[in-house]
Amino acid sequence: MAAYLGEFEQLLLLAVLRLGSEAFGLDIARELETRAGRSVSRGALYTSLDRLEDKGLVRWRVAPGTPARNGLPRRVYLVTPAGIAALRASRDTLRRMWRGLDHLLRDPTP
Amino acid sequence: MSGPTDRTPNGASGSTERTPNDERRPPRAAAWLLHRALPHGVRGDSILGDLIEEWRARGGTRTASVWFWRHALSLTARYGSRRERRVEPASAGNRSIHMFLDNLRHDIRFALRSYAKAPSFAIAILATLALGIGASTAIFSMVNGIILRPLPFPEPDRLIFANELNPNGIGMSVSWPNFLDWRARVHAFDGLAAGRTNPFTLTGREQARRVDGRGVTSNFFDILGVRPSLGRSFTEADDRIGAEPVALVSDSFWRRELSGDPAAIGQRLILDARAFTVVGILPIGFRYVRDTDVYVAMGPFAGDAMLLDRGNHAGYFALGRLKRGLTIEAAARELEAIENDLGLQYPQTNSGIAVHLERLSSRIVNTVRQTLLVLFGAVGFLLLIACVNVANLLIARGAARQHELAVRAALGGGRLRIASQLLVESSLASAAGGLVGVGVAAALLRTLVAMAPEGTPRLDEVRLDPTALLFAFAAAAACGIIFGAFPAMQASGVSGQHVVVRGRSGGALARSHRLRRGLMVAEVALALVLLTGAGLMIRTVLQLTHVDTGFRADHLLTMQVSFRGERWTDAKRVAFLDEVFARVRALPGVANAAAVLSLPIDGSQWNSVLVAEGQPVPERRELLPSAAMTPVTAGYFETIGMRLVRGRLFTAADGAQSSRVVVINEMLARRIWPGEDPLGKRLKQGWPETPGTWREVVGIVADVKVDGLSELTPLQAYIPFPQSPTSDLAFVVRTDVDPASLQPAVEAAVHALDRDLPVFSVRTMDRVLEASIARERMAVLVLMVFAIVALTLASVGLYGVVAHGVTERTHEIGVRIALGAERRHVLGLVVRQGLSMAVLGTAIGVAGAIALSRWIEGLLFGVTATDPATIVAVVAMLLTVALVACYVPAWRATRVNPTQALRAE
Repeated sequence: MAAYLGEFEQLLLLAVLRLGSEAFGLDIARELETRAGRSVSRGALYTSLDRLEDKGLVRWRVAPGTPARNGLPRRVYLVTPAGIAALRASRDTLRRMWRGLDHLLRDPTP
Repeated sequence: MSGPTDRTPNGASGSTERTPNDERRPPRAAAWLLHRALPHGVRGDSILGDLIEEWRARGGTRTASVWFWRHALSLTARYGSRRERRVEPASAGNRSIHMFLDNLRHDIRFALRSYAKAPSFAIAILATLALGIGASTAIFSMVNGIILRPLPFPEPDRLIFANELNPNGIGMSVSWPNFLDWRARVHAFDGLAAGRTNPFTLTGREQARRVDGRGVTSNFFDILGVRPSLGRSFTEADDRIGAEPVALVSDSFWRRELSGDPAAIGQRLILDARAFTVVGILPIGFRYVRDTDVYVAMGPFAGDAMLLDRGNHAGYFALGRLKRGLTIEAAARELEAIENDLGLQYPQTNSGIAVHLERLSSRIVNTVRQTLLVLFGAVGFLLLIACVNVANLLIARGAARQHELAVRAALGGGRLRIASQLLVESSLASAAGGLVGVGVAAALLRTLVAMAPEGTPRLDEVRLDPTALLFAFAAAAACGIIFGAFPAMQASGVSGQHVVVRGRSGGALARSHRLRRGLMVAEVALALVLLTGAGLMIRTVLQLTHVDTGFRADHLLTMQVSFRGERWTDAKRVAFLDEVFARVRALPGVANAAAVLSLPIDGSQWNSVLVAEGQPVPERRELLPSAAMTPVTAGYFETIGMRLVRGRLFTAADGAQSSRVVVINEMLARRIWPGEDPLGKRLKQGWPETPGTWREVVGIVADVKVDGLSELTPLQAYIPFPQSPTSDLAFVVRTDVDPASLQPAVEAAVHALDRDLPVFSVRTMDRVLEASIARERMAVLVLMVFAIVALTLASVGLYGVVAHGVTERTHEIGVRIALGAERRHVLGLVVRQGLSMAVLGTAIGVAGAIALSRWIEGLLFGVTATDPATIVAVVAMLLTVALVACYVPAWRATRVNPTQALRAE
């Protein structure tokens, strides 16, 4: 049984997946802002990533820094197989819950 | 982005571009904060890097920096508390600092929440602190500005003021020849100068004006240590008899009247119809005692026959700069010896005369010192009361939370953690109170300065004093910390379990009760002392406003004129006054008009010894009586509303050529001719051997107050103005309408006759009276405010203690009622307990007030400092308020529902 994922955790994992091999903190935040319309505090961002890491759902590797960041290193995130499984489980749960309710929630202005 | 290692952009982007790192940096403090909060190593570094990169991507602008700060704070908040978990090797010290900061943040948040939950407690503590800190800071700023701060001259402590004392020990000015002898013989000073106020009429410009002037010896400015900012100072040559008249002018006069033009040096000023050459401009902000426009050297006056008369004390005071290392006592001894020699050398004029020395700084503030010190004392009491109240509130709160604290201790809350949390709470209250206190202080200070009696010295030097603020704040904070810690110590001292099982009469609880009751007694005592002071001052002002002045002060307009210059011969002045008063009396709304040398209340301008015909001259000449000589025009007594006791008043027939007459006051009649009829008797102004005219007493008038309301009436002799015409006069105009409304008409009547005669100091007599007791009024107002605040605080405190006691004893009271105690017994029980504190406090307070009475004595009039009526009234008032404060919670106690109280167990 995969770990339960909160909504923000799901969004984070999806953002990392979308960014492919370039998912470092700044881009993850931008992805959330542009695609999910979420302005996210960096405090919440990094502590949530830490939590996902603790659960074994993401891992990261170090990439060298650039002058624009005073030469400080980057951490590029990857979703682990356990992360993928957790996402899948969450999606399946949602799907089950959605099934048969589409007519109730249909957008009135198609 | 360029390569990962090279931090310098290559030249392609243009030579103007510099290293971005040097050009702009993210906010340094925020970066530092992040550095402290984020985990060490690549984790933290990468987060910081992300932030910096984005900051730069956002343009590194101000907005970007705000953004940076926001996220730095969110990261600090999130990571600050987690850091230990993620530490890659961190030092133990570092870790504990982080834990401390983390706890502090929690404590502050917790304190804010707990204050929000008990807003009335928060407001009470805030208001108490704000009032205490605000009032004490304002008053201290006042005292500091006027009394404590040194004068703005170099080494002000070496500046000594000296004058002479008449044989009765009354201060008077130094006779000019005596001053010259002092200066020639004395060694204790680096220099000795003389000076006197010398107002001038300034003419030769568009409108004649009165200017404040001072005649000084040429070394006056050297002794003060002041050099003109432009031109030259006075030289010895300027003091020689017959020297060309020269003047120094103040910077403000120079800017105002001489348009700030450096070419003003060498210009002529016409002062009292004499031309003075301006030789220099004094530095900006220079002032000696009060603002003065013009200083003149002695040249034009040094040869005056009046000045050279050794028996004439013409208004000069000496100012010396003490030699380094000498004490004022040594200087006094030397001058006394010189004065003794002079007494032997010139017995006619100098016997019995003594010298008086004082530091300039203390001389300047003599009149207000006592008022300010009493207020200062009062403010100390207020601050104490505020502190006691805060302590009481905190202890009560601590006691109420005993249970909560015990539970926390039982659940594993460390003693230190609980104690530190309580400390944070009380420090937070102190800080907030101090902040509001600054506002209170500023507002109060503005009010005080506005209310200060006219002529209070150095008032413009009064500023809100940061040291005072700090002091009051520290006092309140210390109080908050000490008493904030009290429940903390108790909480940590009591074993958790003990209190959790509601040890209702635990030792700690009893201890806190004793302490609170003790504090309450102290607070009541302090409040009583303040109330007594306020009561005494109120009675003083009441007495003063009911003093019989001897004249009718309502509907009187007064103004000063001064006839200066050669053209105002005696005859011309007399004729001018006749003409002016004829015109003024014809004005609609005017009932009568006359003139006098010195107005009542305002103080006498001319005091002189006098001799009564046929009475023995006392062996010791200094025992000759001295009287306030007062030339008046015909109609003066009627105009001002004085009462004729016997004989007649002056009429127009008492002219310059007619027989010499005098009207005396009752005081003089009693003193010189006790038990005799003075009418027809004769007296002479001056010493027995000085030539003069004998005057026949033609009338006796009732005494009027001469030197202010609180002073005894001196002997007074009124002389017809034409027989002794002075050059300074006050007009008094009795009106049927509002006196102030007639000012333009009366001034116009004067200027219609002479355009160049300055009219100044126009006041209604009511205002003269009011100004004379302004000092007392201010003391009353301040003390009253303090007393009311003290009474409020004390009663609120008392209410709090009693109410708290009732809450704690709900169970016991419930049992009593259940067992059949009547409600009035319960009422009596609670009220008695509360009142016992008030009564004990009152008793201590009365003792304290009596012990402190001598401090306020000098401010009182018509009432003693231990006036029983005042003390009884104050005690009654305090106990009444205390009774109400106890009754309300007691009444609530009787409403206790026994079944509920018992079930609560």
